[in-house]
Amino acid sequence: MNTEPKKKVMVVGGGIAGLTAAWELSGMNLDVHIVEKTCFLGGHAIKFCCKATEECQQCGACSVEKMLKNVVNEPEINIHLSTEIESINRNGNFKVSLNKGPKYIDPSLCTNCGACFEKSPEQGAIIQGFSKNNSPLYGIVEEKIPLIKDFCKDICPEGAISLDKKGTSETLEVDAVIIAAGFKPFDPEIKGTYGYNKFDNVISGMDLEECLRQNGCALRPSDGKKPEKVAFIQCVGSRDERLGNLWCSHVCCPYALRMAEVIKNQDPETGISVFYMDIQNTGNNFPVFYEKCKSDMEFVRNIPVDILPVENDKLQMRYLSDDEGSAVTGEFDLVVLSIGITPGEDNDKLSKIFDVVLDKDGFISNDNKLSKSFTSSRGIFVAGTAGGPKNIADSMANAGQAACEALNYLGREEHTK
Amino acid sequence: MTYKTDTNINEISINTDVLVIGGGLTGVKSAWEIASSGYKVILVERGSGLGSKDSNDQDLIKKVTSDSNIDVFTGTSIVSSAGVPGDYSIWLSKEDEILDKKVGAVVVATDSSIKVLDKEYGLSLSDKILSQSQMESVLVSDKEKIKGKSIAFLAGFAQEGNPVVTERILNSVLAMEEITGCSVSVYINNIKVASSGLERLFKEGRDKGAIYFKLTNAPEITDTGEKVKITFLDPVLRNKIQAEHDLIVIEEQVSADPINRSLAELLRIDLGPENFLQKENVHMFPVRTNREGIFVAGSSRKVCNLANAWMDVENVVLEIKNFLDNGTKTVPGDKAVIDAGKCTICLTCYRCCPHGAIYWEGDKAVISPIACQGCGICASECPMNAIQIGGYNDSFISDEIKAKTESSVKPNIIAFCCENSAYEAGLMAESFKMQMPEGLNIIKVPCAGKIDMDFIMSSFAQGADGVLVMTCHNGNCKSEKGNIFAGWRVAEAQSKLDVIGLEKERLAFVTLASNMGKDFCRIVNEMEERIKKLDS
Repeated sequence: MNTEPKKKVMVVGGGIAGLTAAWELSGMNLDVHIVEKTCFLGGHAIKFCCKATEECQQCGACSVEKMLKNVVNEPEINIHLSTEIESINRNGNFKVSLNKGPKYIDPSLCTNCGACFEKSPEQGAIIQGFSKNNSPLYGIVEEKIPLIKDFCKDICPEGAISLDKKGTSETLEVDAVIIAAGFKPFDPEIKGTYGYNKFDNVISGMDLEECLRQNGCALRPSDGKKPEKVAFIQCVGSRDERLGNLWCSHVCCPYALRMAEVIKNQDPETGISVFYMDIQNTGNNFPVFYEKCKSDMEFVRNIPVDILPVENDKLQMRYLSDDEGSAVTGEFDLVVLSIGITPGEDNDKLSKIFDVVLDKDGFISNDNKLSKSFTSSRGIFVAGTAGGPKNIADSMANAGQAACEALNYLGREEHTK
Repeated sequence: MTYKTDTNINEISINTDVLVIGGGLTGVKSAWEIASSGYKVILVERGSGLGSKDSNDQDLIKKVTSDSNIDVFTGTSIVSSAGVPGDYSIWLSKEDEILDKKVGAVVVATDSSIKVLDKEYGLSLSDKILSQSQMESVLVSDKEKIKGKSIAFLAGFAQEGNPVVTERILNSVLAMEEITGCSVSVYINNIKVASSGLERLFKEGRDKGAIYFKLTNAPEITDTGEKVKITFLDPVLRNKIQAEHDLIVIEEQVSADPINRSLAELLRIDLGPENFLQKENVHMFPVRTNREGIFVAGSSRKVCNLANAWMDVENVVLEIKNFLDNGTKTVPGDKAVIDAGKCTICLTCYRCCPHGAIYWEGDKAVISPIACQGCGICASECPMNAIQIGGYNDSFISDEIKAKTESSVKPNIIAFCCENSAYEAGLMAESFKMQMPEGLNIIKVPCAGKIDMDFIMSSFAQGADGVLVMTCHNGNCKSEKGNIFAGWRVAEAQSKLDVIGLEKERLAFVTLASNMGKDFCRIVNEMEERIKKLDS
């Protein structure tokens, strides 16, 4: 029998990469701790919709749901929600100081009945997770506590809510770290001429993901009706020299085309235009899929510069038409900005804490050209979009790689030398 | 393989040797990493040596050839295979000899194959028309040759292309810009930059002077004797533009090794699009196949660069460790059991099993408990009803149908839900407090493939007002075709309903994913409405 104490690994981030890395490591009989700064596991990808038409389109959104279910049902994986990393101290292994946010909702008492969320007098003070596998399914937004103090006193039938809870500090000793802190979706307000947050019917790809997931169909925010004409503008925040964002985000062409196909499949009458620079591939079947898209929608190789509101909450864009070679004006009910992946907002902080180098773009740099999970620091690995743009499948593969490298590292016992 | 049977858990000892097919760098790296994890490896390459055409790592190759845990067979091909996961028999052919090998797991790591697309452009390679590979050799060994030349690349018109193709072009462009007097033009359709660092390479090339013409249709190319003339319609100026170049570089297609087709047949694994050895099924990603213990890495499953192939290799190592472990596997004894008394060896189960889990011993069919994924397709298809699936045996499900059709809430709807998709979606709808019909009764099945025709018909016979068969989307079934079998059975059941005078609208086949709670709710409510209309 092996009586040595189990090796411990900390996974920073509970998105798809972090969940996958944790799951793989726990399968290898390691003691795994996931540290997630928000109150829900699943990251951005848990909000994504299924993009199947009659056929699965391999977007991978259901894989996130499945992995989350795996992880929350695995008692060997320790989960620290609403927790941030304060500092680490490296001395052979890593001593990590954690700042654990207050548990306003006691997970041992909450039954996910939803009473607090449904009856809350302040929108946005009590939030709901995206997956049934989030438990508690609800969270309390710290800044809004003063607004719901009275309401929360006796709203919970189980007495699970107490707003006086304080955060705690905890120290964790681990032998290796996987950074899977994810990305920040490009903020489309930065491209002011598109009028995001100014015009109701200009939404981001991420908004459309959530809309499809929650409503099962695409709706115009202004009136809740189905749009008749939809435009997708690609490369918003990606491949943009002026912004200094010199990378392709990998995911926007696939998600835009897949969601466009979903809309088209639900209502073949919907007109769809895709404004693009270069269409990127989805998978091995791309040539067939792209042909289908070309027969279903209009492709315009021109990125419109600005969006103007016109009557009936419609939106107007001027662009160069491929057919006519001159500027034309088009009106749309809904404009979807295909926003890209930008470096996680904590990357600078993580870079300092863990002494890992960032690349020119601000992602966590791969130290080794061939292995995409090495960082510049021994015993610290990177997985998923923390290291650069990736889709769900690649994030999972990269997480498997990071888990494998962490295992190799622990097996070699280098860290004790 | 030896079995040790406890009451209902079987302990099976398996072979822990691994066969790696393909001696390219992905195969070599796989062999090395798997051997380093403590397993013996047989590495088979049909060519004469190890390594890949484009990149070689002599150190790694040396380590692999001298490792006592790795047996390298070059000039060797696979001629046949048999057996089940943990106990595969593989026959190799080397020169005139047939070698018989036993392994527990298989890794397929075939390389990509490269094709010049000159014919697709209506051209033939010449001293003025070079392939990408030829130009790469020139850039390595004969730079003088292109000093002061005007060079044009053609890409994206004869194929959609991918980042691997783009990266080669971008690197060549940059290399040319270092050469005195070289001017570079690139005629390209969609430039595939969805890979780490490519957008920067693209910009660097342009900053140093390369001109990109992005066109949606291939330009006209004519040989003027000394030069090559390219004519195209400028998308902005809307007029024809002509340019002359000294050399044209034709793109190459990077595709799956043609041998994949026969390997798929030999190993009984599904062939995906474009001859890659993996179906486009998210349950298989990254490196799994429809058969347990057979994994795919790198170019055998998609067009990829070395870094992505390495990623696959490390995922293969994890899978191998999980699967082979220390050579002992524990499996439930009742995972899938054939009643030998009922079995007439009609081979239906063998043919319909998507996981290659069924074989014969003497005159009876046997289901390998390691290979079996418990989908139940065989159990539902068996004409003799000779197969039972642990946890979902027929009497258990029949009892559930009986109990759930007894409910007095009308209309009574029985929804058979695949546990991987629709069942999860149903739970999601519940957790999010969506309004659902009171008379909805969910029955969980391991895969839609286990929804027997009997279950559907007996639900109606026992008083259900409507039946829903809720499965994964086409292409998302963990067992690849459980949902397809379910669809066929529903169509057949609908025609039976017609015969006995029940409206066939009472039975519906729908597809869902686990994260479609809202759609689940809509579908069941629509069903209720439909039934209410029929009953009014």
